[in-house]
Amino acid sequence: MVKFRKSIHSLAGKLILTVGTLMTIGSLLLGYFFITYERKIMIKNIQNYGLSSSDLIKRAIHYGMLTGQKEVIQQNIDVISMEKGIDYIRIYNPEGKIVYASNRMEIGKAPYSPSEFRKIIEAREVSGLISSGGDKILRYTVPIYNEPRCFTSQCHYHEKDQQVLGVLESAFATSEVDYILQQNRITTLLLIGLFIFGISVFLCVILYHFVSKPVAFLEAGMKRIAKGDLDSTIDIHTKDEMGLLATTFNSMTKDLKRYRENMENWTRSLEAEVKRKTNEIMRAQEELLNAEKLASLGRMAAGVAHELNSPLTGVVTFAHLLKSRTSLEDKQAQEDLQVIIDQANRCSRIIKGLLGFSRRAGFEMVEINVNDLLDNTISLVRNQARFHNIRFDIRLAPSLPLILADPNQLQQVFLNLVINAADAMNEKGVITIATRVLRTDGELLEIEITDNGPGIPEDMIGRIFEPFFTTKPVGKGTGLGLSVSYGIIKRHGGDIVVKSAPGQGASLFIRIPAQRKKTEEQA
Amino acid sequence: METKGRILVVDDEEIVRISCQRILTPMGYAVETTPDGVKALELMGRNKYDLVLTDLKMPHMDGMEVMAEIRKREPEAKVIIITGYSTIEVAVKAIKMGAFNYIEKPFSPDVLITAVKEALGEHA
Repeated sequence: MVKFRKSIHSLAGKLILTVGTLMTIGSLLLGYFFITYERKIMIKNIQNYGLSSSDLIKRAIHYGMLTGQKEVIQQNIDVISMEKGIDYIRIYNPEGKIVYASNRMEIGKAPYSPSEFRKIIEAREVSGLISSGGDKILRYTVPIYNEPRCFTSQCHYHEKDQQVLGVLESAFATSEVDYILQQNRITTLLLIGLFIFGISVFLCVILYHFVSKPVAFLEAGMKRIAKGDLDSTIDIHTKDEMGLLATTFNSMTKDLKRYRENMENWTRSLEAEVKRKTNEIMRAQEELLNAEKLASLGRMAAGVAHELNSPLTGVVTFAHLLKSRTSLEDKQAQEDLQVIIDQANRCSRIIKGLLGFSRRAGFEMVEINVNDLLDNTISLVRNQARFHNIRFDIRLAPSLPLILADPNQLQQVFLNLVINAADAMNEKGVITIATRVLRTDGELLEIEITDNGPGIPEDMIGRIFEPFFTTKPVGKGTGLGLSVSYGIIKRHGGDIVVKSAPGQGASLFIRIPAQRKKTEEQA
Repeated sequence: METKGRILVVDDEEIVRISCQRILTPMGYAVETTPDGVKALELMGRNKYDLVLTDLKMPHMDGMEVMAEIRKREPEAKVIIITGYSTIEVAVKAIKMGAFNYIEKPFSPDVLITAVKEALGEHA
């Protein structure tokens, strides 16, 4: 039922229904006109037949009447009435009484009233369809007129002035004709039915091939595309509207595919962009965090600095006082006291450097030779107890370009890194110190400090510059050395890179731009 | 006793007070010390000082307040600021408020003596 409804609502179904209905109505009308017309012709034929038969009967009995041989007339009527289709033959006298009849039992009877009979005579020729006990019959009444031969014949039966001698009535059964007409009607209806059926089947086949099948193809294609299969095409290559539709559809699919690819590319680039931005933000966040750490370090350093500067004042003052009381000839004592004064002053400068962490001012930028500063640093530490079992492998590049830097700060960095290296090796091993010029973009100076200790575990490499991060035993390291160094190098526009593998020591590379003209005070 | 000048040292750190005393006394100055600003102003009410050396960061009353008070009461007395917490901004501020000079800790005896001599108008 559902399928029927569906097919009735389809394009082909509607077309078939419309064409079928029109054809059925047209065919039925045509059939009706055809049958009616045929019936008219048939009746006309029967009437002609009836008339000619009546004339034949009249002529057949003519001789008998002329000769007055009544038996011959009756015999003739008997023979003629045996003809197929003739129902009965009667001959009436002028008074309306039957004188001869195919059914002899009727002789002497008067079936018509005198007035009816007069009408028949006056009509001279009456024909028409009448019902006779269920069957339809065609009845002809023909008056028999008086002729010269009649009144001149030997019998002298009729007078000369008698106009009508009698009436011949013949009746023909129409059942045969009706049967043929019935057969014709059935045949016509059958032919119409067959015609409609044939046309419908033909239409179905045509519509299936040219409409339903391509539509189903299109539908399947659209479903595939709706599911996202943009590579599929619809293979309809006819030159009609369906073919055009399929071509348009295929080109739409192609466009869709192109748009989707563009969209995907765009999405991919967007993703990459988002990733890049995220990384940037993370980096900025890290730097912010670093800056925050350094700022709190600076605050702490400021507090410490204030506390330390007063005792240092005492150290410097009393060293001076002692020095002024010591004999100038005791050179060793004079020198020793001078070391106290110098180192106390250096302490003060270190503290100032720490203070500078939280402030962006206070650098003393001068042109310095990194090699000299490294030599100086090494000679400072070489005599310390922790460096007694350490060998320095010095590989300084000759004729380095000068750099603009704060020598105190830079020396602080070198000291921090060298002491870290010694600690990492448990104060036993080789520290390599090298300088070189890197020519990447502009001149870049690189200072390498490498130890052959156990190296830095991979998960810690990213954290070693964090303030207060230390791997040294409690009380030995503050966790500030590398952080402060990193801050100093950053403020010199440089960078520190760490390379290390477990068991293969650690290398720190300080990179500072050479010939920096702008000082930090201007920043 | 004839002195080159009367100096008051205000600092909460004893070592600084002693240092100043040990440097300046042999040079012929009369040096008195006190650990905080409130006491310094008390002393100034009683005695007359040619020069006050004061720390900036002290409990109860900081060096800037002490100096402002001295400028009000004894406009002739000179003030030298001594601090361990130095920035250029602080130095500029101190000079603007009337300090004669500005010394950073730790200072050497020479720096202190020179500054004191300048403040008291002595010419070496």
